[in-house]
Amino acid sequence: MATHNPTQKAPERETFKIPIGPQHPALKEPGHFEFAVDGETVTDATVRLGYVHRGIEKGVESRTWIQGQYLVERVCGICSHVHATTYCLAVEKLAGVEAPPRAQAIRSLVAELERIHSHMLWLGVAAHEAGFDMLFMYSWRDRETVMNLLEGITGNRVNYSANILGGVKCDITPEQDAAIRAGVDYLEERTRHYLDVVQNDTMFMRRTKNVGTMTREQAEQMGVVGPTARASGVPRDIRVDAPYAAYKDFPVNVITETAGDLHARFVVRVNELFETFRLIRAILDHLPEGDLQTRVKRKIPAGETIMRIEAPRGELFYYVKSAGGETPDRVKIRTPTLPNMASVLELAVGHQLADMPMILTGIDPCFSCNDRMITVRDTHSNQRDVWTWDQLRKYGMNAAQ
Amino acid sequence: MNTLVAFLTMVIFPGGLFLLFVGMMYEWLDRKLVARFQNRIGPRWFQPIADNVKLLAKEEVLPEGVHPQLFYVLPVIALSGALTAALYVPMFGFEPATSFNGDLIATIYLLSLLTLSMGLAGANTLDRYSLVGATRTLTQLFSYEAPFLLALLGPALIAESWQIGEINDYARDHWFILTQPIGFVVALIGLMGKLELPPFDAPEAETEIVAGAMTEYSGRGLALFHLGKGVELVIGLSLVAAFYLGGLANPIDFVVKTVLLLGFLASVQALMTRLRIDQTVGLWWRYGALLVLTQYLVVIIVEGTIA
Repeated sequence: MATHNPTQKAPERETFKIPIGPQHPALKEPGHFEFAVDGETVTDATVRLGYVHRGIEKGVESRTWIQGQYLVERVCGICSHVHATTYCLAVEKLAGVEAPPRAQAIRSLVAELERIHSHMLWLGVAAHEAGFDMLFMYSWRDRETVMNLLEGITGNRVNYSANILGGVKCDITPEQDAAIRAGVDYLEERTRHYLDVVQNDTMFMRRTKNVGTMTREQAEQMGVVGPTARASGVPRDIRVDAPYAAYKDFPVNVITETAGDLHARFVVRVNELFETFRLIRAILDHLPEGDLQTRVKRKIPAGETIMRIEAPRGELFYYVKSAGGETPDRVKIRTPTLPNMASVLELAVGHQLADMPMILTGIDPCFSCNDRMITVRDTHSNQRDVWTWDQLRKYGMNAAQ
Repeated sequence: MNTLVAFLTMVIFPGGLFLLFVGMMYEWLDRKLVARFQNRIGPRWFQPIADNVKLLAKEEVLPEGVHPQLFYVLPVIALSGALTAALYVPMFGFEPATSFNGDLIATIYLLSLLTLSMGLAGANTLDRYSLVGATRTLTQLFSYEAPFLLALLGPALIAESWQIGEINDYARDHWFILTQPIGFVVALIGLMGKLELPPFDAPEAETEIVAGAMTEYSGRGLALFHLGKGVELVIGLSLVAAFYLGGLANPIDFVVKTVLLLGFLASVQALMTRLRIDQTVGLWWRYGALLVLTQYLVVIIVEGTIA
C-alpha cells in the first residue's frame, strides 16, 4: 500500500478486507459483507444485516386483522403474494374457517405466476453478477409477460393483493384464462432457450460449474431451504411436505439436482419453471366452480398457530397469535433468506473474490424481507449495544426534535 | 508554413481534437451495438461527448492518502501516450504523420502507457477496490501484452519491416487475415484485453470491485482516462485493420474496415460471460501465446521453403 500521509499508520501484517455493501453495485439491497482476502482468494467472510429493518411485525400488532394483510404483503417486493397468503391461511386457521376451493385454486395460481416472476428475475440478476448481461436483459424482457398477466388478473404488477381474509378478490374469466395460457406458452418456449444457455454455454459454465458446492450433508446441517437445498439433493418443498391452499388437489413434482454447485442451482430454478408452467395449466384445466369468499368475523378467537408455505426462495414461516380481539397479538415472520444466509459465509471461504457476488446471489437473497432487528455497533470500540424498546423510543423522539 | 501544417496535423486533424472526437464516436457505436444486441435502446449519438464534457467541468476530488502529483499527472500521461501513438499509425487511411524504423514497437509501448497509468493510478490510492483493480489491471497487462505484440509482429515478419507505414503499404496487396488467421484473432482479442472490454473486464468488474482502479477518480482525471480509452480503441482497430485486412488506403477504406471490426468486437462483448482474472491469464498463456507461436513457426518454415 502506498502511504504518503504521515499521520496514517503503516499497516501491520493484517488481513486485507474487501467490504461489499451496504452500498455497492453488486447489491441492490443493503447488507454488509466483509471478505478477508489473500490475493484473490477469500479466507474469511462475515455478514452484517439489519439495514432495512422496518418494524413490520410491530406494525401489524397495532393494526386490525384486515389491515395487517396489506402490511405483510409489503414485506417483500418480489414475492408479495406468498406473504399475504400465509397470513390469510394462518388467520383463517385461527378463525376456524376455510376459503372455498375456487379461492384456494386461484391463490395457488397467482402464487405460481409469482414464482415465474421471481425465478426469472433471479436468473437475470445472477447472470448480471457473472457479467453476462445478455441473459440479464433477455430474461427481464420476458419477465414482463408474466407481470402483465398478474396485472391482468389482480390489477397490480407488484403488490397484487389478490387475497382477502376468507378468500380471494379476483376471479379468472375465460378471457384471462386464454391470456394466461398464451403467456405461459410463450414463456415455456423462452425458458427452454434459457435452460439451453444455462446448461451448454461454455463461458457461462466456467463461472458456475464447481463453484460454491454444497454437499447434501452440509445442506441438511445448515438447514437451508428452497431451491438452494433442492440443488444439493435435499427434496424439501412445503408444497409437497405440508400441502396448503390447492396443492392437495394439484400435486407438485419436486425438482432436485445432486451436484450442489451454482450450476445446479441454475438448473433447479429453470427446471422448476417448467413444473410451474405445468401446474398453471393443470389449475386452469380443473378450476373448481363456486364462491370466492367466505365470511370471517372481525374478532378472531384467542389462540396461536403457525403456517408454512413454499415461497419462490424456500420455506416461509408465520407464527400468528390472537388474544381474541380485533388486532393480532403477535405476528412472527421468518423469510427463507435467513436460513440460507449462513451457507453463503460457509461456502465463501476458499473461493475467488470474483465468485462472491455469484455465491451470494445463488441463494436468491432478499434483505429487506429478512431484516428483523438492528444491532447498534460502535465502529471504534466494536462494542455492540442492544437497545430496549423504551430507549429506542426515547432516541426516536429526540431525533425528531 | 511547415511548422503550421505540422502543428495543425497534431492538434486538429487528423490527430488531437479530431481523434478525440472519433474516439468518442466509436465508443458510442460500440455501446449502441451492444445495447441493440441486448434488446435495449442504447445511448444517443452524443452521449459520450456529453459524458466527457460534464466530467471535465466537474470537481476533481483528491482522495486522502494519495500522492497528489502522481494522481493528477497519470491521466495526462495515459491520454498523451495514446495520442502520440496515433502519429505513427495510418489514421483514417492517411499516411502516418511521422515514422522511423521500428516505430511499431514504440507504438505498442505508447499504447501500453494507458494500462500502466491505470494500474499505477489504482495502486496510488488507499481504496481497497482500487488496489484489487490495480492488481488485476497489471496482471491482465502481463497476460495479453506478449501475445498481442507477437500477433502484430507476424505481418511485420513477412513485410520485412518494423515500420507501420511500410507494413500498411505492403498489406494492401496481401490480406494477412487469409495467411495468418490465428494472428488476426489473437490481435483482435488482445485489443479487447487491452481496452478491458467484456469478457476481459475483470479489472473493472462492477459487481465485485465497483470500478476497479478507477474507483477513486472523478472529474477531469476520469474524463482523460475515458478519452484515452476511446483514442486507443480507434488506434487499435486501425492497427489490426492495417495489418490484417489489406491495409488502409483512404478514409472510406478506414471507416468500412474498422466499423466491421468494431461490430465483431461488440458481438463478442454481448455474447460472453466475464472471465475471472485467473481464467484470463490461463486463456492467454495456455492458448493465446501458444497459438500465435505456432503461427510463427508455420510462417518461418513457409518463408524458408519459398525463399
